[in-house]
Amino acid sequence: MSGFVTGDGRTHIASKLMAESLVDRRVVATTHSELEYAILPDAKLVSIGGQSIFDRGGEALRPLVEELAATRGKHRIVVGVGGGTRVRHTVSIAADLGLPLGGIAQLVGAMEEANAVMLNALLAKRGSIVMQREHFWEMPLYLENGMIPIVISIPPYHFWEPPNEGGALPTHGSDFGLFMHAEVLGMKHIIFVKDEDGLYDRDPKRHADAKLIRHTTLEAIWNDMPGDLILDRKLFEVWRSARHVERVQIVNGLKPGELTRALAGEPAGTVIERGARQ
Amino acid sequence: MNAGKHAERLVIESALESGAAFDYKPNAMMPHVKVMKIGGQSIMDRGRTAVFPILEQLIKAKDKHQLLLCCGGGTRARHIYAVASDIELPTGVLAALGGYVPRQNARMLQMLLAEHGGVFMLHDDFEKLPLYFSMKCIPIMTGMPPFGYWEKPGENGRIPANRTDAGVFLTAEVLGVKRALFIKDEDGLYEDDPKKNPKAKHIPRIGVNELIARDLGDLVVERVVLTYLRAARFCHELQIINGMKPGMVTRALEGEDVGTIIYRD
Repeated sequence: MSGFVTGDGRTHIASKLMAESLVDRRVVATTHSELEYAILPDAKLVSIGGQSIFDRGGEALRPLVEELAATRGKHRIVVGVGGGTRVRHTVSIAADLGLPLGGIAQLVGAMEEANAVMLNALLAKRGSIVMQREHFWEMPLYLENGMIPIVISIPPYHFWEPPNEGGALPTHGSDFGLFMHAEVLGMKHIIFVKDEDGLYDRDPKRHADAKLIRHTTLEAIWNDMPGDLILDRKLFEVWRSARHVERVQIVNGLKPGELTRALAGEPAGTVIERGARQ
Repeated sequence: MNAGKHAERLVIESALESGAAFDYKPNAMMPHVKVMKIGGQSIMDRGRTAVFPILEQLIKAKDKHQLLLCCGGGTRARHIYAVASDIELPTGVLAALGGYVPRQNARMLQMLLAEHGGVFMLHDDFEKLPLYFSMKCIPIMTGMPPFGYWEKPGENGRIPANRTDAGVFLTAEVLGVKRALFIKDEDGLYEDDPKKNPKAKHIPRIGVNELIARDLGDLVVERVVLTYLRAARFCHELQIINGMKPGMVTRALEGEDVGTIIYRD
């Protein structure tokens, strides 16, 4: 794959994509492969909910901090944090002010960053570190040394958030961002720590008879998506074309030990499996 | 379910929190900016014969219009994609790697335009655009959107779906600009590939829905841009022009419908 090719007014570098249209479906298909190198396959991603955990303050957070600290030496974990009620307030005000969609997307990450700093303050003496996005490739340094990197969940779409039909809200939110973080690094397991026992067929905060789903598959959720979903729809959408993430688990962080059980591979909360790729 | 047993959520009341509907009417931020892409393979890789005449037109226009230049990648980006895909790296890594070449190209244009106010900018400098324009500068940035590692894996192939065309479109959209300009080496859209079939018929105007319905195997812009065009609130037209033809850039900046217009219908 080297050498220059000229003759059509442009100077090309010889490669299998040389002078090709990257929009041409046939050309794009030549890069298709089911195989994909897994960069950090042993790491697990743990998401601490914004509304569900952080907005409840110390009583909800402190026990979780102990569980996270206890993972050292046992699991390699990357922790993501949500923004919670302040994100909703930001979006409400920004939308009322008529800021463009990309402008709203640019603003929300700051509220998560504040939660990342708070969690880091509690976990610092146990080896946590707030990871800036530009330091993406320092992840192995932290994990190799038993540290716990804390990442911002919102993906960096910022001003470039794609428009969506009708909506004022950016669709590339925290759940999607964390999923992508795990997927691009080849992780297999993501655990969302919330304030419910898992995924229900209806919102359990509003319906007393809502039924907990202990085990399900991506396929089943996609084909019959509950109206009130505890995770963003976008996560399931991208999971369908993902290569690495095999299991998404939702546990109740208000119940001691649930996160620890999930990290040990036990079926705590709700387990969603990808199953075989279509 | 857990209320009473555990600490309550400390909630800030807001429209979104209460589930109330809100009337979303965004305002255009900087609708008069001319957002344009300088093609990578089509323009930059041709060197001075293609680049210099375009820059001459831009220099003449710069006191009349606010110009924001966004660069494409080209053959070096293709080489990176080819090698990275050969070693089975994920789409998100390809998207991050794909950012290097357009940034190089933007830096090249900055050096060429330096004495006319060319300023290289990063995504993080986006909020400084009003400053650059009030100083009569020509800001130059990469066309790639900042998605990087967070670019979604594709259904087919591992080339990132959002590349520099998408980034240019989204830049125009967030600024509230109605028309995004793409400077390439073809007059726009043809019924067939004009590089392979010289008799291919030119399409001066086409609605995005019709274009999607035609389901062409190849296209002059990234496919995802058509999806965005359908959903966009501000950017409702793409104009693709041939920068190799003298005067085309000037005419497009004056609002002439040269090249091909793909519009939201």
